[in-house]
Amino acid sequence: MTLIRTTSLTKRYAKITALEALDVELEPGIIGLVGANGAGKSTLIKLLLGLLEPTSGSGEVMGLDVFRQGPELRQFVGYMPEHDCLPTDVSATEFVAHMAQVSGLPRGAARERTAETLRHVGLFEARYREMRGYSTGMKQRVKLAQALVHDPRLMLLDEPTNGLDPEGRDEMLRLIRRIGTEFGIAIILSSHLLSEIERVCDHLIEIEDGRLVRSVPMTELTAPTRVLSVEVDGDGDRLADRLREQGVAVRTSGRFLLVQKEDDALLDVIRDSVVDLGLGLVRLEQGRRRLEELFQSQPTLEEEEAPRG
Amino acid sequence: MADRTAGTIYDVGYQRYEGVRLGRRHAIWALYVHSLRGVFGIGRSLSSKVGPMGLAVIAFIPAVFQLGLASIAPVEVEVIRPEGYYHMIEVVLAVFCAVVAPELVGRDQRTQTLSLYFSRALRRQDYALAKFAALVTAMLVITLIPQVIMFIGNALAANNFFDYVRDEWADLPSILGSAVLLSSLVAGIGLVIASQTPRRAYSTVGILAAFILTSIIAGTIFEVADKDVARFALLLSPFHVVEGLALWFFDASADPGTQLAEADFRGVAYAIDAALAALLMLALLLRRYRRISP
Repeated sequence: MTLIRTTSLTKRYAKITALEALDVELEPGIIGLVGANGAGKSTLIKLLLGLLEPTSGSGEVMGLDVFRQGPELRQFVGYMPEHDCLPTDVSATEFVAHMAQVSGLPRGAARERTAETLRHVGLFEARYREMRGYSTGMKQRVKLAQALVHDPRLMLLDEPTNGLDPEGRDEMLRLIRRIGTEFGIAIILSSHLLSEIERVCDHLIEIEDGRLVRSVPMTELTAPTRVLSVEVDGDGDRLADRLREQGVAVRTSGRFLLVQKEDDALLDVIRDSVVDLGLGLVRLEQGRRRLEELFQSQPTLEEEEAPRG
Repeated sequence: MADRTAGTIYDVGYQRYEGVRLGRRHAIWALYVHSLRGVFGIGRSLSSKVGPMGLAVIAFIPAVFQLGLASIAPVEVEVIRPEGYYHMIEVVLAVFCAVVAPELVGRDQRTQTLSLYFSRALRRQDYALAKFAALVTAMLVITLIPQVIMFIGNALAANNFFDYVRDEWADLPSILGSAVLLSSLVAGIGLVIASQTPRRAYSTVGILAAFILTSIIAGTIFEVADKDVARFALLLSPFHVVEGLALWFFDASADPGTQLAEADFRGVAYAIDAALAALLMLALLLRRYRRISP
């Protein structure tokens, strides 16, 4: 089943165009939505939720029209906004249970699932307290819980790690990954941090100035590169020299030697050279492309070596 | 199997929800109930109960007074008549509205919870309707119930309970009708003003002004200007309208010397005016929520 389909979806404000004739078709999965601030990420999310009306074009989520079948559709959608959205004078338990009911769950089921969901997001003793005293981390958990409590088929998470410390960020990403894989809920995760998208998502769409730049599976983007990184216990320069003698392109990067791999025979060459020199082989691994590199100019080994020479 | 896992806490993992999903109507109902509880501070801290509950008690005082008087007086006495009740508590109604309406709608704007509601199983206008219904219900608590207390009290104090009920039962639809109309009008005015701003202080002052200032201004215009024209100013003052519609519902006439008596509108004019104003307020409220960006 197609998760999301938009057809020339456009949103214009008085002076700016937030989204321009967007055509996307996405299958269920964990989808990363990247783009600079103001690129149109939040606008797209809000359009898919029916929070904004499009200037033109249409959108479908799980086969339901976003703008005409909103209430029906949104029974199966969870939304975690980027901004604060929690009242201060009620407890997390009461708030999340209320939100579950407003998503269509009966009262009893709402209460049961609230307890369970708050446990999943890791909010324990604090859940009966008024939310005014909550830390940022606790608030983010409640925000996630209210988007999860009604067991949606799709969750739209807008910058969910905003304001979190590195540890909280890690935990939030682990949780999101778990929701996507173990719980089987499709996720759209917007973030301006590529490393987060890389960690969690298996598909990526990029928006720039309201236009779709790319929509590709993550495996394609972070495919193995042809660079091997080698670390030895001992004098790495000797190994580098030995490899160059044998016509292998090598450059050093800190403790590592980066070697352009042409074929698998190279692995044997490296192993034999290490043994000949009496060094210890600590690491020999195939490099992976990182998203950051992709969004810059994709440097290759040769290009980087040129200015050094 | 059971003994092996006994005493072990383990994560049962995520459970899918396979039960019913009740959709939009249930969502509206849930928001209505939650809002109504919130008006009286139920499920909230003690301090959020004090204001609304206290005002509700004040609105009950005349009814309780009449009840006490009727029960100890040797003959049937009606010091407080149903048609005069709303006039007696109109300031309490306005203050109650000014206290609770900003919490009812302004809070969701202030905390930005509105975007969570709008992304759930209801539409924007459903949100407005649920809030309106909640405030009307809350206003009914302090308009309808005192009237009913008075009615029952007078019947109990009468020489014969059943004779009283038989003679006076026609008041019951009037009590209900007047309370619903007046509550809709007051709730509508309060919500339209409160929904314009997340700032509590502004909307509280705005609502008080809408009731009390208009009453003073309309009253003053009526005193100083040509009465044939100036009497229409009274139709723009909620307090005067509230007073007037009660006259129509209870088939009474204004006390001589009051502005209402001098204005000499038929009671039905106030009732129609109130109904139109309430509808206008509801339309404005729906329009506000169609346009608001969450």
